Parts: sequence; C-alpha cells; structure tokens
Amino acid sequence: MAPPAQAHRSPSPSQPSGKGEVSDLKSQLRQLAGSRAPGIDDSKRELFKKVISYMTIGIDVSAVFGEMVMCSATSDIVLKKMCYLYVGNYAKVNPDLALLTINFLQRDCKDEDPMIRGLALRSLCSLRVANLVEYLVGPLGLGLKDNNSYVRTVAVIGVLKLYHISAPTCIDADFPPTLKHLMLNDPDPQVVANCLSALQEIWSLEASTSEEASREREALISKPVIYYLLNRIKEFSEWAQCLVLELVAKYVPLDSNEIFDIMNLLEDRLQHANGAVVLSTIKVFLHLTLSMTDVHQQVYERIKAPLLTLVSSGSPEQSYAVLSHLHILVMRAPFIFASDYKHFYCQYNEPSYVKKLKLEMLTAVANESNTYEIVTELCEYAANVDIPIARESIRAVGKIALQQYDVNAIVDRLLQFLEMEKDYVTAEALVLVKDLLRKYPQWSHDCIAVVGSISSQNVQEPKAKAALIWMLGEYSQDMQDAPYILESLTENWEEEPSAEVRLHLLTAVMKCFFKRPPETQKVLGAALAAGLADFHQDVHDRALFYYRLLQYNVSVAERVVNPPKQAVSVFADTQSSEIKDRIFDEFNSLSVVYQKPSYMFTDKDYRGPFEFSDELGNLSIAAESADNVVPAQGVEANDKDLLLSTSEKEEIRGATFNVSGYSAPLYDSSAASVQSELAIISSTSAGSAPSSSLAIDDLLGLGLSAAPAPEPASVPPSLKLNSKAILDPGTFQQKWRQLPISLSQEFSLSPEGVAALTTPQALLWHMQGHSIHCIASGGHSPNFKFFFFAQKAEESSNFLVECIINTSSAKAQVKIKADDQSTSQAFSDVFQSALSKFSV
Amino acid sequence: MLFLKSMPVIASPTHYIFQIVRAGITFLACTQVEMPPLMGIEFLCRVADILSDYLGELNEDLIKDNFVIVYELLDEMIDNGFPLTTEPNILREMIAPPNIVSKMLSVVTGNSSNVSDILPGATASCVPWRPTDVKYANNEVYVDLVEEMDAIINSTKQFSLLHARFRDGVLVKCEIYGEVQVNCLLSGLPDLTLSFANPSILHDVRFHPCVRFRPWESHQILSFVPPDGQFKLMSYRVKKLKSTPIYVKPQLTSDAGTCRISVMVGIRNDPGKTIDSIILQFQLPPCILSADLTSNHGTVNVLSNKICTWSIGRIPKDKAPSLSGTMVLETGLETLRVFPTFQVEFRIMGVALSGLQIDKLDLQNVPNRLYKGFRAVTRAGEYEVRS
Repeated sequence: MAPPAQAHRSPSPSQPSGKGEVSDLKSQLRQLAGSRAPGIDDSKRELFKKVISYMTIGIDVSAVFGEMVMCSATSDIVLKKMCYLYVGNYAKVNPDLALLTINFLQRDCKDEDPMIRGLALRSLCSLRVANLVEYLVGPLGLGLKDNNSYVRTVAVIGVLKLYHISAPTCIDADFPPTLKHLMLNDPDPQVVANCLSALQEIWSLEASTSEEASREREALISKPVIYYLLNRIKEFSEWAQCLVLELVAKYVPLDSNEIFDIMNLLEDRLQHANGAVVLSTIKVFLHLTLSMTDVHQQVYERIKAPLLTLVSSGSPEQSYAVLSHLHILVMRAPFIFASDYKHFYCQYNEPSYVKKLKLEMLTAVANESNTYEIVTELCEYAANVDIPIARESIRAVGKIALQQYDVNAIVDRLLQFLEMEKDYVTAEALVLVKDLLRKYPQWSHDCIAVVGSISSQNVQEPKAKAALIWMLGEYSQDMQDAPYILESLTENWEEEPSAEVRLHLLTAVMKCFFKRPPETQKVLGAALAAGLADFHQDVHDRALFYYRLLQYNVSVAERVVNPPKQAVSVFADTQSSEIKDRIFDEFNSLSVVYQKPSYMFTDKDYRGPFEFSDELGNLSIAAESADNVVPAQGVEANDKDLLLSTSEKEEIRGATFNVSGYSAPLYDSSAASVQSELAIISSTSAGSAPSSSLAIDDLLGLGLSAAPAPEPASVPPSLKLNSKAILDPGTFQQKWRQLPISLSQEFSLSPEGVAALTTPQALLWHMQGHSIHCIASGGHSPNFKFFFFAQKAEESSNFLVECIINTSSAKAQVKIKADDQSTSQAFSDVFQSALSKFSV
Repeated sequence: MLFLKSMPVIASPTHYIFQIVRAGITFLACTQVEMPPLMGIEFLCRVADILSDYLGELNEDLIKDNFVIVYELLDEMIDNGFPLTTEPNILREMIAPPNIVSKMLSVVTGNSSNVSDILPGATASCVPWRPTDVKYANNEVYVDLVEEMDAIINSTKQFSLLHARFRDGVLVKCEIYGEVQVNCLLSGLPDLTLSFANPSILHDVRFHPCVRFRPWESHQILSFVPPDGQFKLMSYRVKKLKSTPIYVKPQLTSDAGTCRISVMVGIRNDPGKTIDSIILQFQLPPCILSADLTSNHGTVNVLSNKICTWSIGRIPKDKAPSLSGTMVLETGLETLRVFPTFQVEFRIMGVALSGLQIDKLDLQNVPNRLYKGFRAVTRAGEYEVRS
C-alpha cells in the first residue's frame, strides 16, 4: 500500500492548501504528546484520522512529522497503524526525521503481540531511506526466526524491500540463503510463497552479475523444488498458487510420465473459482505438452469448457482478459472450437472491443459445417446500430468467403448487402466483392449484374470507390455502361479528393480502352490529360507512364496494364506466425491482451520517444553511461583532435585541482561534486593517453571494449563449432518452437561494434567467420534482430540463437536454445566472444 | 455500460494500468513488468468486493469517511506488490468491520477501537477460509440455486424488398449460468455433503477452494468444510436449452418515412411459478426522430437518449401485453434499415430453469438441532430478442 506522496502539489484556489489546518494540528498534537491522561488515545485517534485524511486528499502534512513521532508512544493498535502509515509515507522526503522513528519501530519489533511485531517490521522496511538500512538487518534477522508465521511472512517481504533499497546490505547479511532454507522448510504456506517470490526477484536481478545467483535461479526450477511446491500447492493461497504455477510452466520435465504426473496433480486447479489460477494452470498444461501433438490437442479439449465458463461468468473486465486468451487459442486451433461457435456470438450489450475479438474468432472457427449459421449471425450484425461493428462483421463475412470452398450462399449474402442502401454497408461490401472476384473469377457474372446497378454517386469512401472502379475496368466487357460510367467519373476528376481513386480510375480507363477501344478513346484522352495535370506526383507519373507506353506500342501497353490474371489463392496474412508463436509462448501475460509479444511493449527501446519522461528520473545513470557509449557518428569527428583534447584536459585537470583545493574548506558539498567530476575527467584522460599511439577505434572503446577484448586471446573457446553447419529454415522454426530457452542473457556491445552495425549484413559475415550462421535477420537502426544457428563440430547438436541488438543502448539480448542443454553455457561464451570482436 | 468503453488494461509510457470500475469508483493497479493480467484484475475485483463487504456498499463518501479502514485492509491484502490475505473471514478477524453495533458502542462509550487485539488463529489453521471459534445459538444452513438465462432469439433474416418483418423467434443460443450460493450459520467445524439428482446436465463447474476434488470426480458429490456466512460454493454452466419461458414478438413495418411497431409478450412454456419483474428495454435507432408508443399493460418510458423501457411486471391472465406505436424517421429516409434489439429481464422465484435439482444435504460435526433451507431463482441474464 502506498498512498500517493503529493508533497509538492501546488495549492489551488478550489482546494484549501491546508496551511492553517496543518499548523492547528501541529499545536494540538504537541499538547497531546506529553499528556498521559486517561482517554488521551481517543483524542489522539481523532487527530491522527484528520492527518491521514489530509494526507490522502493530497495536502502536505509532512510538517507535523516530529509531533506524530512524539505521539507514537501508545499501546493502541489503531493509533500505531495510522502512525506507521504516516511515517511510511513521509519518511522518504524527510530522511533526517525518519531517524527519529527508528527507535520506536525497533522497540515495537520486540513487542509481545505478534501483530504489532509484524506491523512494525513492515513499516520499518517501508521507510525506503538508504542511510537507515543498518537498522533493518537486526530486526529482519529476528523476524525471519520469529515463531509466529505472520511475522515471518512480513519479514520475508521485508528482505526483498531491503534488497531494493540496498542490495549489498541484503546480500552481505546472507538473507537469500536464509530465505531459501525457509522456503523449503517453513510449515506456513504463505511464508513459503513469499520466500519464493522474493527469491525469484532477488536472484533474477543478481543473475547478471553473479554466477552463483544465476545458478540459484536455475535451481528454483529444478525437479526437487518444483515437486516440493507442487505437493504443497493445495495449502497455498490462490495468489501463491498462481506464483507456483508460473514457475512450473518454466520447468522442463524429463519424460512423458513426469508430464502426466504433473497434469494429473493439477487437473482440479482448472475448476478453481479464481480465474488467475485457472489460466496459470492452462499455461502449464499447454507448455508441458507442446512437443506431444496428440496430447496437446486433448489438452485443448480439456481446457475448452473452463475457459468458456470463465468468459461467461465474472465481471466484464475479467471476461475480456479471458477472452483475449481464448482468442489466441482459437487462432491456433480453430477446428477444436468449431462446435462451440455460438459462444462467440456477440451480445447486444457487450463493449465493442469484446465484439471485435468475438468476430475474429467467429471468422476463424468457420468451417463447412457451421458456415451457414455463422454467416447468418454475422448478417444480423450488419444491421447493428454500432457502425464500426457492422463494418467489421461484413468484413468477417468476406474473410469467411475467402477461406471457404463453397461460397455460393455467401456470395448471395454479400450481394444482398449491396442492396441494403446503407452507404457504409455498400462500401464494405464493394471492397469484399472485389476481393472475392480476385479469388473466384467464376462468380463475375452474378456479381457484375449487381455491381453494375450501383450508382457511383452513392459511393463516397475512397476504398469502396476504388474497388468499384477496379471492377468497372476489369469487367468492362461485361458491363454495358462501363465506359460511360468511367466517362462521368473522369469528368468529375477535379472533385475527386482521393489520389487512390484517381490512380484506379486511370488504370480502369486503360483496361476499358483495350477491351472497347472505340467507346473509350475519348475518355482515355481526357483521363490522361487530367492525370498529367494532376498535382499529385504518383497520379501524374502514372499518367505519363501510360501515355508514353501507349505512344511506344499499344499491344505492349496492354500486356503491361492488363495481363491475363491468375486467381489469387492466398491473401497475405497481417500478423506473422512467428509473432503469434511468441505471444503463445507468453500465454497468461499481458502480451496476450495486447496481441503483441512482450518485447514490443516492455522493451524501452521499442516503445520509442515517449520514454523520455521516465528517463528523466534516471538522469544520473544516463549521464554515466553516456561517456561509455560513443555514438557512431562521433568516431570520425573525434579522431583528429584527440591528441589536442588530451592535452587540454590535462590543463583542465590542473585547473580543477586548484579550484577544489581552494574551495574545499568553504563548501563541503560542492567540493565533493567537483572531485567526482575530476574522477571522470582523469579516467577519460587516463584512458586516452596510452591509446593515442594505438588504433583510433580502440581509443574510443575506453573501458568497455578493453575488458572483453583480451579474453578470447588468452582463453580459447572450449567448444568447437562446425564451420559448414547446415540447417534449413523449416527445421529451425520447428526446433525453435519445441526447445525451451536454456539461456537468456544480455551482453554489452563494444562501441566499435555498434559503429559497424549499420546494416544487419555486416554482423552476418562476421559471425559466419566464427562458425555461427544466420538464418534470418532484419530491422533498422537502432533495433536489429537476428536468428543464428550453429552446430557442434563432432556431432550434429544444434544451438539456436535469437539476438536482439539495440545500437543506441549498445546492448544485445540473447536467447539461446540448444539440443544439448549442458553445453549452452559454453556456446554462450563462444557467442559472446565472437560478438565482442565485431568491429569495422 | 458506458464505462466499459475503456479497456481493462491500459498502456502508458512507463506503466501498465489495470482498472476495474465498481459503482462509479475506479480501482487501479499498475505494473512495470509482464504479469498474468487476470491476477491483477481478479485482485482488484477482490479488493472491491471486500471493501463493499466492509462498508456495506461502495461510494466515494463512504471511502472518504473510512480511509483508515481502507488503509488497514489494503495493508493486509497486499505487501510490496504481492497479494497476501484476501480471505474475508481472516480479514474480519484482523480488522473488525465498522458495523452499526460498533458505531453505536463508540457513540455511547466513546471507544472506537475496531481492531481485535489477538492475531487470528486461522492464519495458521488448516482450513484457512474458516474462522476458528464460530458459535451460533440457532444453527442454520441455506442453499440457493441462482440461475441466469442467456439467450439470443431471432429468425432468418430477409434482405428483400419485403419490409414487413414478423418474427416467430428462432432460438439462436440459450444457456444457463448458475451458482450454488450457501449461507452457512453453523457452529464449530461442520463437514457438509451436497449431492444433486441430475449432475450429468452440468457442462462445466468451478468450485470454491473448500470443495474436495476427489468425491466430485468419482461420484459428483460436493464435500466441503464451509466458510462462515454467505459464499459461492460453485458455479456451473448448462448448455443448449431448448426453450425459453416467455416469448417476445416484435413487428416493424415501415413505409413513407414512418414506422409502425408492435411488440407482443406472453408465456411460451409455463415454468409452474409466476414470472415477474418482466422489463423490455431497447434502443431506438438513431435515424428515428420521434416515437409515440403506448401499451395495454404496464408502463412505457422513452428517455432522451432514445432508450425505451417497457415495464410489464407480471403477465395478466386475461390478455397478452402488447406495445404499439408509430415512429417518425429522419427526413429523406423511406424505410427503416437498422432494427432495435430488445433486452428482456424477468425473474422466476422457486424454479431453476436448467432443471438442476438438489438431492440431499448431509451434515457432520454439527449440533442436532438445525435448520436446512433450499431455494431457487432464475433470472434473465443476457437475454435478447432481435427484431
């Protein structure tokens, strides 16, 4: 619980600043502080309540901090709670005053009542004041050994809070091993669950720097721990169950017996009342059976009913989250849900975002047996009051038509839409009829008859108008009036706002001309003239192109503009299957709700420019890293005057020395900052001085490249890779989907590497030199993405790598999957050393 | 339903915000990392439930008056972002609700402490959902079957020039979502067994954590140690029902800029008990300028946002209620192309329309004198008739 600290809120006229009230409170509290009269607690309680409610509505009451602490000597638990709350909220902005509270909190930590011990410990850890951490270690240590489980629960989370305030203090006090011991032995399930969440967080954060921590993190998903937690799962609270299930989903069982054991044990979780537990269980099931195709399908059958029930029960918010998950499953295996299509029927009252998901699912599950019902239902929505949904449903009908073989009935429906005389319905239907004709040219006769009767004046939307014009051009031989309709459209050239429509009109007139030259010749001339005079570059260019083509040779022009067409069999899918798989891997997470893999929205680099508000808070960090990362364009600019700048810096150093020497006695704090500046300057000059004789790129590398560079030279990689490894993309994809991630790491890239990585190809050649081959790559600066593979020299054991490089942060995120898990660390070393050697 | 327009999970540049809206109050949670979305949403729902349980209902003033209680509750429910205790029984032992009795007491005695001094024993008990020392003078247990019927009714659409639309009603989809709600006022640590006469009709079930899984799996028997007081024992779904208790027959004819509407309501299949609280609600299409509607039974109301409500109540024995009237279309529009959907509400006391029947309820570890009560009710859920 953290009420918003709004200490710096400026008082507005409508909201009293509370200044008078605060000073009133202050004097009243002062009076009460010393008093020991009976019934004093009640007056205190009233005052405290006032303070708390001021605090909550945003009035700054930090001024009474001292008085509150003075009043805190009480045995009344409600008073204590209010006091703790107050202190927790304001300690961060008043670190000096916070020291005052340590005393009474520490005393309360030894209280007889376990509730007070717990509360005091929780508040002590919530102070978030860095220089008070030394006072935390003792009470936390005692709290972890307390004989009351409530206190232990609080203490465990306290350790995590301590870690976030000061990681070294937490590690030095040996808390993580204590937590591990508690996790495996404590009788209270809540303590175990809290240990688990605290350890997960601590070890994942430590893993980047400490080998041991990453080993410990791996150990959490080892068989003994997983089995221990699974055996106790029924004791846990529903939230803790979610936590355990998330962990189990990461576990890789040895054989199918183990998989079945786990699934049998967890089956009843599917009937839990809490939707979060049900979804976590489903995730475990899906992940465990990924490699067993037939069982995987049975799992779908099994989880279908619980998911559908979850959608229909609960609040709209819950249903939407569940529906998003159902959506991804339906998209993966539509045939399994084909008989449940009625669940995806839209109710009148549902919000449009739910309807939209449902329409997509209806489209996906349509097959021979249910198409008629689904299309009938979709036609109901076409008359819906909600126009966007009406449009979506017409599009859905079209999509179903495009994916079915028997489209007879559907075409009739679409043609009925055209007769509905609603402009948006007509517009959507026209676009669909066009797509249908591209796939099923055999329907042209039926469609043309109807399309021909539509007046082009009634169609205003550019897409629909373009579709109509396309059909006029394409089927001008079957439509009696085609040249004349085109003529009237051409006459209104000036009034047509959409360039897309004008482009289509040009092409349609050309096509019409090839089929019915005598009738069209005049129109063609007018259209080309209008096109040449058009202010839109594309329209002008196309008109010019057609004109010259016709000048050159009419039959060639016909071959170019109106070649014989083949029916389109498959339309390009909008979302790649790779992204869908990524989202599926992240089942039961926000990715599913957003329909994007998490890297697209959790990676800061991906989210783009609005990130700056966040970055402002971390300005100091950014400043530090700024001199480590040399921007690519700086390389050329800097190399000439490096020698000069070194000598200049020497001078500056001398100067600052003098200044600091002079001013130190006067200004303590400013001297400190000058000194720290000095440290930076001297390190830069120290770094550049010896390297001035070396290569320029080394110069700029500074500390970063210096560290990894010597390593490959002294320690030859232990793993030998096959330099002529072969893996076809199909196999790669299959393996990538099947194998679990065995390593996920983040490497820093050397600045010269960053400079060299202007195109993905540069890195491909380099990695190939280290027997690591690329199978796919892409992206633009600053984000690049690569899929690499490598094979061991002696045997055909594969390593698969996904590597996302961000050049602006000079970081590479690497996910390694391996046939042989045991060698993945060795491979990771090889990969890293290869990557670190990458330069211009 | 307007508030549902915003998504339950919102992205901001730095955080992801979960939100739910209850009684006009928005509950927010934020995260910076990936997490199971339902965990956030379910937790917020739980917070809202518990707050309304404690405060009697939910509104802004109540929350402002009870900041301290709200803080105390949140303090126990979540710590450092991890949900802790959300079991109402345990919370009630740690933090006493501000009920009328304690308010009276505080006025009389001037003492307003609302916290018990002892730590609840149940935190360490093996039945975490049940407080330890429960005592009742009269031991009672009530089991309610509460069902909601979701249905979509329409007939095959005709996009022809025939503008008269009379529909007899084709049942597109009809399902029941039901809950078994138990109000348990029993002393000690009772052990209950509930069985149904026809459990095979249940399509999917979800249980309160207190239900033992094995007896259900082998014999479809619910065996459980109940929480104290009111709780939802299980929820279920019954698929593919064949009929609805009432019919709604809308008829719309439009010609030359006016539309005549007539809606008839009657009993289709008599459930054997009275059907009451029948209300018909529909949104007039935006292209309608004005409407003049009358009924031969009940009251008709047209709000300024073109929502029309027809409250029927019970269906009289002697006549079938009907609504009729004329509507004026937008100028230039000859015929009506967008048709309203009728949302129907009704309630039938004493009947579970799914046909689910409770066979018997056995109790162990309970005093001899006790009262067992069973009730059933069916309501319309998402019940809509398309014209």
